[in-house]
Amino acid sequence: MKKIFIIILIAAAFSCNKSYLDVSPKGQLSQAQVAAGTEQLVTAAYSSLGNDHYYTPWSLWNYGSVRSGDAYKGGRDESDIQEFYFGEIFVNQRSDLGNLDGQWFQYYVAISRVNAALSNLNSVSETTYPLKKVRQAEMRFLRGHWYFQLKILFKNIPYIDETVNTNDYAKISNRALSNDSLWEKIAGDFQFAVNNLPVSQPQIGRPNNIAANAYLAKTRLYQAYEQDEKHNVTGINATKLNQVVSLCDQVLNSSYGLEPDFANNFLLGSAYENGRESIFAVQYSKDDGTMFGRLDFGDVLATPMGIGCCDFHKPSQNLANAFKTDANGLPMFNNFNASDLDLTANTVDPRIDHTIAIPGHNWKYNQNELYQNSWNRTPDVYGYFASLKENVQRNSYIQVGPFYGSPKNRILIRYADVLLWKAEALIELNRANEAVSLINQVRTRAQNSTSLLKFSNGSPESNYNIGIYQPGINCNWTQDFARQALRWERRLEFAMEGNRFFDLVRWGIADTYLNSYFQVEKTKRKYLKDGLFTKNRDEYLPIPLNQIKFSHGLYVQNPGYTN
Amino acid sequence: MKRKLLILPLLLMLCFLANAQQVTVTGKVINALTKAPLAGASVRTDSKLGITDKDGKFAITGNNGKVITLSFQGMQPVSLKITPASQNLLIALDEMISNLDTVVVTGYQTQKKADLTGAVTVVDVKELKKMPNNNPIQALQGRVPGMIVYSDGSPSGSNVTVNIRGIGSINGTNPLYVIDGVATTAGMHELNPNDIETIQVLKDASAASIYGSRASNGVIIITTKKAKKGVMQVTANARNSYSYYNTKMSVLDAQGYGNAVWQASANDAVLYGGAPLDQYLIYKFKWNVDANGNYALNKIILPEYVDTTTQTMKTANTNWFKEISQLAYSQNYDVTVSKGTDKGSSMFSVDYTDNKGIVRTTEFKRISARMNSDYRLINDKLLIGENFTANTTQEVQDPGVLNPALQALPVIPVHTVDGIGWGGPFGGMNDRQNPVRLLEDNKQNHYNYIRLFGNAFADFEVIKNLHLKSSIGLNEGVFDQRVMQLAYVSGYLNNPNNYVTMNHWTSTELTWTNTVNYKYEKGKHFLDAVAGTEAIKFNTMNTWAKAEGFASQDPNYMYLDAATGQRDNGGSASEVHLVSYFGKLNYVYNQKYLASVTMRYDGSSRFGVNNRFGLFPAFSLGWKLNKENFIKNNFSFISDLKLRYGWGKTGNQDNISVTANQTLYQTNYTGGDPTWTSPNGTAYDLSGAGSGTLPSGYQLVQRSNDAVRWEATTQSNFGMDFGFLNQKIYGSLDYFVKTTSDMLVQPAYIAVIGEGGNRWVNGASMQNKGIELLLGYKGKIASKVNFDITGNIATYRNKITSLPQEVVNNYGGNGTTDNILGHPWGSGYGYVADGLFTSQDQVANSADQLGKGLGRIRYRDINGDGVIDSKDQTWIYNPTPDFTYGLNFNFEYKGFDLTFFFQGIGHTDINVYDVKSMTDFWSINETGSNKGTRLLQAWSATNQKSSIPALTLTDRNNETRFSTYFIENGAYLKLRNLQLGYTLPKHVTNKVFANNLYVYVSGQNLFTVKAKGFTGVDPETPTYGYPIPTMLTAGAKITF
Repeated sequence: MKKIFIIILIAAAFSCNKSYLDVSPKGQLSQAQVAAGTEQLVTAAYSSLGNDHYYTPWSLWNYGSVRSGDAYKGGRDESDIQEFYFGEIFVNQRSDLGNLDGQWFQYYVAISRVNAALSNLNSVSETTYPLKKVRQAEMRFLRGHWYFQLKILFKNIPYIDETVNTNDYAKISNRALSNDSLWEKIAGDFQFAVNNLPVSQPQIGRPNNIAANAYLAKTRLYQAYEQDEKHNVTGINATKLNQVVSLCDQVLNSSYGLEPDFANNFLLGSAYENGRESIFAVQYSKDDGTMFGRLDFGDVLATPMGIGCCDFHKPSQNLANAFKTDANGLPMFNNFNASDLDLTANTVDPRIDHTIAIPGHNWKYNQNELYQNSWNRTPDVYGYFASLKENVQRNSYIQVGPFYGSPKNRILIRYADVLLWKAEALIELNRANEAVSLINQVRTRAQNSTSLLKFSNGSPESNYNIGIYQPGINCNWTQDFARQALRWERRLEFAMEGNRFFDLVRWGIADTYLNSYFQVEKTKRKYLKDGLFTKNRDEYLPIPLNQIKFSHGLYVQNPGYTN
Repeated sequence: MKRKLLILPLLLMLCFLANAQQVTVTGKVINALTKAPLAGASVRTDSKLGITDKDGKFAITGNNGKVITLSFQGMQPVSLKITPASQNLLIALDEMISNLDTVVVTGYQTQKKADLTGAVTVVDVKELKKMPNNNPIQALQGRVPGMIVYSDGSPSGSNVTVNIRGIGSINGTNPLYVIDGVATTAGMHELNPNDIETIQVLKDASAASIYGSRASNGVIIITTKKAKKGVMQVTANARNSYSYYNTKMSVLDAQGYGNAVWQASANDAVLYGGAPLDQYLIYKFKWNVDANGNYALNKIILPEYVDTTTQTMKTANTNWFKEISQLAYSQNYDVTVSKGTDKGSSMFSVDYTDNKGIVRTTEFKRISARMNSDYRLINDKLLIGENFTANTTQEVQDPGVLNPALQALPVIPVHTVDGIGWGGPFGGMNDRQNPVRLLEDNKQNHYNYIRLFGNAFADFEVIKNLHLKSSIGLNEGVFDQRVMQLAYVSGYLNNPNNYVTMNHWTSTELTWTNTVNYKYEKGKHFLDAVAGTEAIKFNTMNTWAKAEGFASQDPNYMYLDAATGQRDNGGSASEVHLVSYFGKLNYVYNQKYLASVTMRYDGSSRFGVNNRFGLFPAFSLGWKLNKENFIKNNFSFISDLKLRYGWGKTGNQDNISVTANQTLYQTNYTGGDPTWTSPNGTAYDLSGAGSGTLPSGYQLVQRSNDAVRWEATTQSNFGMDFGFLNQKIYGSLDYFVKTTSDMLVQPAYIAVIGEGGNRWVNGASMQNKGIELLLGYKGKIASKVNFDITGNIATYRNKITSLPQEVVNNYGGNGTTDNILGHPWGSGYGYVADGLFTSQDQVANSADQLGKGLGRIRYRDINGDGVIDSKDQTWIYNPTPDFTYGLNFNFEYKGFDLTFFFQGIGHTDINVYDVKSMTDFWSINETGSNKGTRLLQAWSATNQKSSIPALTLTDRNNETRFSTYFIENGAYLKLRNLQLGYTLPKHVTNKVFANNLYVYVSGQNLFTVKAKGFTGVDPETPTYGYPIPTMLTAGAKITF
C-alpha cells in the first residue's frame, strides 16, 4: 500500500513536465500559421469595405450630406444621435464626441488590415506567388481609399504604412506630414495601383486599372485646391489639374460609360449592380451564411418609418428646391429658393424623383406603393421628404434588430463623377468651353431617365423639364457661369451620396454657402436656428480628444478647436 | 478553559492505571439549555472510546477512580471520576462560550482555531442559515469584517461579487472557493446551502498563499456535513417566503410626460427663441402667454388611440413597473439522512428550491442531492471516501426589462384593444420594447444547468501521524438552453420571423491533489507539516445552433428539426493547465509560540514562456500571551490574548484570457452582431455574386507578450485575538497592508495600431490598507435570557502606487500629467458641477461655457483660464466605502429565539448616471423615453429653489459629461433579517416521534436607511440591477 502511494506521488510530480503547460489556442491561429495565408489577409482587408455601421458609416451620409445643406439628420428629433446633430449645426461640434473617435478608429482598423496584408505580400516571392504585384496594387488602392476618407474628414492625420514597426506607431504625429505631403502619399498608393493593376480583373469586387486612374484623378483634384494652415483655399494648382484631365481621359476612353437610365445606379439586383457606370463599388451580399448577410449597415437608419426604421437622412427643403428648372430646363440658379417647390407649378429635373421621396409619389419606382405622409417619423421637425438612393423596395429589406438593411451595392466612383471631375478641372484651367459637352452628357442622361418615373396610370410623377447647356443660345458660358453650372450639376447628380460637404470645402465656399443656407432654412426648420459655420474651423472635424490623449499630446488639434 | 486544562494531564496518566477495577458506566448526555439529548457525543474513558446513541445514551467500561470525559462539538466537555455508582448519569453539557477549540480547515490541513496565525474568520454557520438565500455567499454579507458582498435580488442569487480586503485585482475580486478540498470559482448558488457544515474565510496572504496563484482575492473554505459516528439522524427543513418589489422607481405618468416635454420646449422658447410645442408624438398642447408674459400650459390633449390611423391601441396610462412585477412565492425543502459507524459513515441529502422572482416570469429552481461517505479499512489505517453532489438548476432570467420599464411611454397600453396583441410604440416614439411582452415571450426560455461537484479520496496512514492522501476532484457543468424568439407585432416594432437558438456548453475541471501530512508532538514541541502537488486541467466547449421559420410557436413544437428556414451554428473551446508544488509547516512551542511557513510554486499555461512559473511564499508568527504567567497572574479576566503577524504572497491569473501570452489570428466569417456595433467580419463578396459562400480571411485579435507574468499580491497582516471574562467578550482586530503589483490589463491603445491592438501586459500596482474589528458579547439577562451580540466593522483605503506609461490611458485623467497615480482604483475623472445658474448676472459673469444659461449646470473653472473645457476635469469619484459593518443580536428565552441582523456601508461614492440622466434630464439620455418624476420639480423661473436643471430639448450645455452631479452618497443601513423562532417543548415533539422541532418566521430587508442626498430608490442597486426584494418567510426544522 505504501508503495502504491509513493508511486502515485512520484508519478504526479513527474507527469507535470514543461509541455503540460503548452496549451494551443482553440479555434484561432498563431503568427506562424498565418504566414502562409497571404490570400486570406488580402480578403480580410477587402472585408473592411463592408464593415459598416450606422454610427460610423462608410457612406459618410452624416458628414457629407447632412452637413452640406442637402439633408437633415432626421430620426426622432435632434437628440436622436445628438452627436450627428451637433455636427449638423456645427456650433456644438466637440472633439470628445464618440462618433468621431469611432469613425477614426474604424479607418485605422481597415488600414491595419491592409498593412498586415502588404507586409505579408512584401515577404513572398513573385515566383511562389505570381499575383504578388497585383495584390500589392489592390491593397495600396484600398489604403489610398481609407486615407482619402480620413483626409477629407480630419485633414491632419497620422500616416502609417506597412514599413512602420508597430512599436513606433504611437510616435508618428498627425502633423508629421504636411497637407500636400499627405495628398502625395495617398496619390502614391493610387499611382502604384495605376502602374500595376490590369485593365480588367477576374473578380468584379477588385479594383482595376481604370478604377485606380479614377481615384488618382479624384485625389489630384482635391490636392489641386491648395489650402493654408487655416483651410483657406490659396490657389488651384494647374499642374495637378492637368493631371486630373489626363487621368480622367484614361477612364473616359475605357469600356465604362453612363448607364442609360440614372435609376440603374440605385437599384438592387444583378441586372443593375456592377453596371458600366460603376467604376468601383462596395459589394454587399445576403444569404451568405452570416448573421443577417453582409448588408449596407451604414445606411440602415435611412429607412422611413412606414416600412421600417428610423427615418434618418432626410432631404432638405433647399435640396428639393434646387431641382426646380426654368423654361429652358436649366437650374434656377438665383431664385430657386425664393419659394418652396410646388409640383403643381414648378417644372423639375427628373433626378428629383430618383433622389427624393415625395409624398404621393412612387416609393422606389414601385407604382403599387406610394410614399405616404404617415411614413415620416417627426414631420414637424424634419418635414416630409425621404432619401431614395440608398433605399430599396419594401420586400427587399432584411431586418437587422430594429433596423432594416439591404444588400444593394454602394458605388464609390461613378463614371458620371469622372465626367464632372474632368469638367471641373477644365473650367479651373480656364478651358470652360471644353467642359460643356461633359456636363451635357450627364444632363442628357438625366433627361432620358424618366421611364421609371410614372404612376400606374402612365402619367409622370412630376412635370419634368430638363435642358442641356447651349452656350450663346440659352446661356452665356463664361468661366464663372460654367463653374456655377458645374457645381450645380454635381449637387443634383450626387445629392444624398455623401460628397457634397467635401465639394464645398474643396472649393473653399463652405462658410458662405452654409451660413446663407442656415439663414433661410432655419425659418422653415426651427431646429436649425443655432446653425452657424465658423470659417477656419468647421471645414474639418476636430481630431478626437481620445486620440490626442492616447498619443500623450503628440497629436495636434485642428485649428479653431479649443481641445 | 480550566476544566479543559485539567483533562490533559489526566488523560496522560491513564496508561499508568490500566490494571484498576472495571466499571460499566451508563448515562445520558443532554444539552443543558434545551434539554435535548445529544446524539453522537463522544464518550471517552481511560480505556475506551464510545459515542452516544440517538437518545443521547451510552454505556462504556472504565476503571474505577479514573476519568470519563463527555464531549460534543460546540459544547464544553465534562469530565467525571468513575465510581462503581456511575450508573444512569444525566450529564448536561453547556454550549461552549469559547470556540477556541474549534478545528478549522486551513487548506490541505486542519488547525485548532486557537493556533491560527493568519487572518481567518470562522463564520457562524448557524446564524448564516437563518438567511433564506439560495447562495450562502450572499448571506455572508455583513458577517465577515473586511469582506464586502455586492449582490442583487435575482431569484437565483447568482449575481454576487465578493470583495475581500479591498480590490485585490482589477481582473475580478471574487475569492477562490475550496469545497471539501476542491477549488472552484464557479457559482455557489447551485449548491445546497444546508449541506454546509463550516465556512472559513482566509483573508490574508499568510493563510491563503497555500493556494498560490489563485488566492489573491482570498480563499473561502467550505466543508460539507459528515455523519456523526454511531448516530442515525434525519433532519428536514421547510421554508416558504413571499417577496415583493418595494423599491420601484417613480416614473412619469401620461400627463406628467406631456407636462415635462412641453415645459422643456417652453424653456427653450424663452432662451433661444421660437415657440413652445403645439404637439409632440401623439400629445397636443394648448398653451398661452399669461399676464406676466410667461408661457403657460392650459391643457394636454391625448387622442383616444395611440395609433391614430389604425386605432388598435387605446391611449393608456400604464405604470410599467407595476406591470412587470409580482408578489413572488418561494419554497425550499430539504432532507438529510446520515449514519455513522465505526467503520465508516454516510450522509445523504436532497434539496428542492423554487424561487419566483419579483420581476414577473423570472424563476429559479434547484434540485440537489449529496452523498458524503467514507470507509475505514486495514485497521482503520486507510480511509477511502467521497464527497459528491449532483445539482440541477433551472432559471428564467430577467430578459432586461428594468430599463425598458423606465423608458416605455405610459401612453402605450400593455395590449391592443383585442386584449391579445401587444401595445408598442407608434410614430416618432422611441423604439423600446414593451417590457411585458419581453417577459411573456421569454417565460419558456429557461436554462437547465447540471453541475456535478466533489471528490474521491484515499488517505493512508503509513506510520503513526504520517498520512498520504490522494484526491481527485471534479467540477463538471453542463448547460442547455433553448431560446425561442417568437414573432411579434408591438406597435411599429415587429419581427415576422420566429426562430430558435439552442445553446449547449460544458465545462470540466479536474483537480488531482497528492499530499503528505505529518504531525509530530514531543514535549513542548508540536509540529504539523504538509507537502504536495496539484495538477488542474480546465476545459470548456460550447456549441450553438439556430434555425428560423416554425409553423407553430408551441413550445413543444419549436425544436430545430421543425424549422423550415435558414440555419446557423457555431462553437468554440478553451483549455487551461495549471501545475503546483506546495508545502506548509506549522510549529507550536509550549502552546505559546506559533510559527508557520508556506511555499507554493505554480505554473500556468496562461503565461508567457519567460514567466510560466511563480513562487508564492508566506510565513506567520503568533504569541499566545494568555498562556504567559505575567498575564495569568495579573490579568485573570483575560481568557484569550494572541498576537499574530503574517506576511505572504499570492497570485492571480483566473480572470484573464486563457491565451493571454499569444499572438492570435482568427477568421471571423459572420462578424459580430451588426445591430449595435460594427461587425468587423473577415468575409467579403469579392466576386459580386450577391449571395452564397464568401471568401473569408484572417484578422489579428491579439498581440503576444512573452513577458506577461503573474499578477502578485503581497500582504502583511498584524492581528490580535482576544477574549475576556471567560470568553464572554471576545473578538479580533486586524490591520493589513496589501500590495497588488503588475496587474494584468489589456491597455486601451491608440487607434493607429488598428485591429488586434489588444495585448495583455502587466500594468499598474495598487495598495490596500485596512483595519478590521470583530467583537462579540455573550451573556445572560436575569439568568433567563441568553443573548449574543456580535458586530464587525472594517475599513480600507486604496491607491494606485505605480502606473507604467503603457497603461496611463486606461484609468482616466488627461493622458499626460494628471493621471490616476495616487488615487484609488476606479476613481472617476470629470467636472465639478457647481449648482445651477440662477441669475443672468451669473450667466454673464461666469467662465466661458458652451451652452450656459439660466437653470443650466454651472461647471467649475478648475484651471481658472476663464473657459470651461476638458482641462477643467479633476478626480471626482472614489468608489471606496468609508467603512462597512454588520451587527447581529440574538436572544434566547426558554424555547424562543429572536434575531436581528443589520448590515450597512458608510459613505461611498456611487455613480448614478444611468438612472439620474433619466430622472433629472429630458435631453441627455434617450430623449424619446419616459423619465422619472423628479423632472416635474426641475428648475424654472417659478421654481428657482430647485437643484434639478431646467428642462430643455437639446443638451447644448453638454450635461451628459461626467460630473459631480451624478455622484451621490451610497451609504445605507439595512435590517437584513429579523427572525423569531420557537423550539417546541419535548412532550410536544415526542408526539410526532421527533427529537427536535423548530418553527420560525422572519423578514428580510424590512427597512433601509439611506443617505440624505441619495435620489434613487436603493443604493445597493442604484442602476438597473435586479431589485432587492423585501421578503417574509415562515419555516420549520424537524430532526428525528
